[in-house]
Amino acid sequence: MNPRRASIAAAGAALCLALSFAASRLYGPVFIAGLERKAVAARDAAGGQDIDLAFRDRYGWYTRHPILSGGRKLDAATRKRVASAVAEVPGIGGVSWARDSEGVPAVTTLHCQDDVQTILRTRTIRFSEASARIDPASERLLDEVAHALRPCVGSIIAVTGHTDGVGNSEANVALSKARAEAVRWALVGRGIPADGLRAAGVGARDPIPGLDPRDPANRRIEFSVITSAPVKPTPIDTPGPG
Amino acid sequence: MPLWLEMAVSVLLTYCVGFGIGWLLWNRKG
Repeated sequence: MNPRRASIAAAGAALCLALSFAASRLYGPVFIAGLERKAVAARDAAGGQDIDLAFRDRYGWYTRHPILSGGRKLDAATRKRVASAVAEVPGIGGVSWARDSEGVPAVTTLHCQDDVQTILRTRTIRFSEASARIDPASERLLDEVAHALRPCVGSIIAVTGHTDGVGNSEANVALSKARAEAVRWALVGRGIPADGLRAAGVGARDPIPGLDPRDPANRRIEFSVITSAPVKPTPIDTPGPG
Repeated sequence: MPLWLEMAVSVLLTYCVGFGIGWLLWNRKG
């Protein structure tokens, strides 16, 4: 094959890659939302309302392979039935349970907030620049954070994103919110139930006291335990079809 | 496996098959 033809073939392959990436960005959320609706209906029919379905992987990408978490009060047979009911929904690629989603005793202590702050005092969750993609180097750190937050499961845990004061403030708020969401989904992927996690972004509004608002050290994710009340879904909160 | 990767793999596979068939047809003798 001469170089010209080879480069045309390579350009075609690159075009295919770009097209599939663009298509999954555009159509992915709609597709996953439809899938999620069917999966939630299947889950409810199997009697597993307490089980969370996360349609994002640990990196925040949409996936057809939902991660199941929660539902600790259900017996093993029900959990198995729910998992197979969800897995049988057309379009679902397969299901897996979040790591450590079973057998953890529900201890009510609020030490976890301090534990997380201790972990994050010397290290920070890093992101790619101007993006909400969590740096792969921070995966270990997130494992530790999820482990430290586990005793607080049952409380409302707020994940707040902050940026520095450089750049457009609206973009900063959007970016900090996206980063907080990315961390939230990463924690859901690690077995923290999604219904107890709230993600918010405040942009550069809340710099570290005593620090110049433009200082890059203001870019951070903070965790706070809002309440120790156990999260009980009310009829309005309970996810259902539609 | 993320959705975009699944899509990329299937589109690339289709492209390769199409490319291969095109190649064979283009180069056949007679």
